[in-house]
Amino acid sequence: MPLDSFLILAAETSDVAGESILKKFQIHWWTFLAQLINFFIVVMVLKKFAYGPVMDILEKRRKRIEDGELKLAAVEKQIAESEERTQEMIDKANGQAKRMVEEARESAAAVADKKTQEAAAAAQQIIAKAEEAAKAEREQMQADLRKEFGRLVTSTTAQVTGKVLTDDDQRRINEEALAKVEG
Amino acid sequence: MPLRARFFAGISRLFVLVGCLVASSGSLLAAGDGGGHHEPLPAFAETIFEIGPLPITNSMIMVWIVAAIIILVAQSASRDMKLVPQGWQNFVEWLVETLLNFFSGIMGAHLAKRTFWFLGTVFILILFSNWFGLIPGVGTIGYEIIGDGVDPHDKFRPFLRGANADLNLTSAMALTFAILWFYWALTEIGLKNVIAHIFAPKGEFKGIMLVLMGAIFLMVGAIEVLSIAVRPIALMFRLYGNIYAGESMLENLMAMVPSYLKWLPPMPFYFLEILVGFVQALVFALLCAVFTKLICEHHDDHDDEHEAQPDEKAAQPA
Repeated sequence: MPLDSFLILAAETSDVAGESILKKFQIHWWTFLAQLINFFIVVMVLKKFAYGPVMDILEKRRKRIEDGELKLAAVEKQIAESEERTQEMIDKANGQAKRMVEEARESAAAVADKKTQEAAAAAQQIIAKAEEAAKAEREQMQADLRKEFGRLVTSTTAQVTGKVLTDDDQRRINEEALAKVEG
Repeated sequence: MPLRARFFAGISRLFVLVGCLVASSGSLLAAGDGGGHHEPLPAFAETIFEIGPLPITNSMIMVWIVAAIIILVAQSASRDMKLVPQGWQNFVEWLVETLLNFFSGIMGAHLAKRTFWFLGTVFILILFSNWFGLIPGVGTIGYEIIGDGVDPHDKFRPFLRGANADLNLTSAMALTFAILWFYWALTEIGLKNVIAHIFAPKGEFKGIMLVLMGAIFLMVGAIEVLSIAVRPIALMFRLYGNIYAGESMLENLMAMVPSYLKWLPPMPFYFLEILVGFVQALVFALLCAVFTKLICEHHDDHDDEHEAQPDEKAAQPA
């Protein structure tokens, strides 16, 4: 049947005027108008509720993405600048640190020299003092020894001779004995 | 883009041919098997009731249902729109953006944005009308007219019919496009350029050649005018024919077999009809886009510059 109807339709289309086509397909003004209105209602509703808001939101999203990309580019630029600045500061700090280390090293060497010299001087002083002390001690010991030796000589002489020695005798004997010992 | 249009038009013609062959074989079998029990699908939408002078047809009810669903979806999608889409908003955004990008690829951003309200609606309405027409019950649930003088071969009145299997709807869309096409052409390039686009010789000619080519292009222009006049008719009948043929084929396939097996023969063709529904929506919208693009094209350098400006402007917010 459909093929038949298509053939009939084709025959009618070629043979008769548009009026019979309208009749065949029942195209009525009212129905046509109603379908037209239906179509325009859908158009208006879609325009209001779909295309308009969707276009707006797409535009907003596009703007947001664009703004985001611009901000991202700005942030990346800032980061790059910041990194550059940081690098510069690090380089500067490194330079300063090197210089300070160098200065410290030089200063430390100077201090070390000074301290060495001071230490050497102090050591010299200590040695000198020690020598002086040793000398004084030796002299003291010699004096004590001399004194003890005189006392022993006078005591021995007094015991051997059996007489009491005067201070002059004691001094004379001591001096003679010391002169013999040291001589 | 005309190549793409020709490709889709070729596919649609192929589907029509297959549809007609299957439908005709189905009708023969049905006639032999059923002995006249099966009512053929009428070529027009049938009146279900009347409101004054306005007959309410089953295809009109179908359009209302589809329109209501489209409106509900559009409303629920746009009720609380967010920058991060969810639910229906996601779907509607995807659909609108995909269609807009598709038409922008054919017509340029400026024209696509300007004509999208029509092209987008045409595509969406045709697509969903076609697919809703495939829901079981459409064309099969209805009532019987009883009484004297009733044609025994035309007693059944289905409540619903494929919306585009009614020439009233397809002609409403096609004629609206014809008027809009002329309006868009006039506002985009002006009356002088429209006439020049149709009748003026393409190329540079001098002397006798100019006269000869002028005469030839005048005749070509006359053919072009005829072609332009035929476009809406071709659009309305192409869509109507494809959808009507599809519905007819499905009904006849069901009539080929006993009642308990009626579900089986049309089963594979439902998938075909899903594809046809999509292709026909695409073809209608695509042809409208291509026709609009062709007439709104500018030919001289000045006009090219003129066209480039709105395109760039439109491309910015798009």
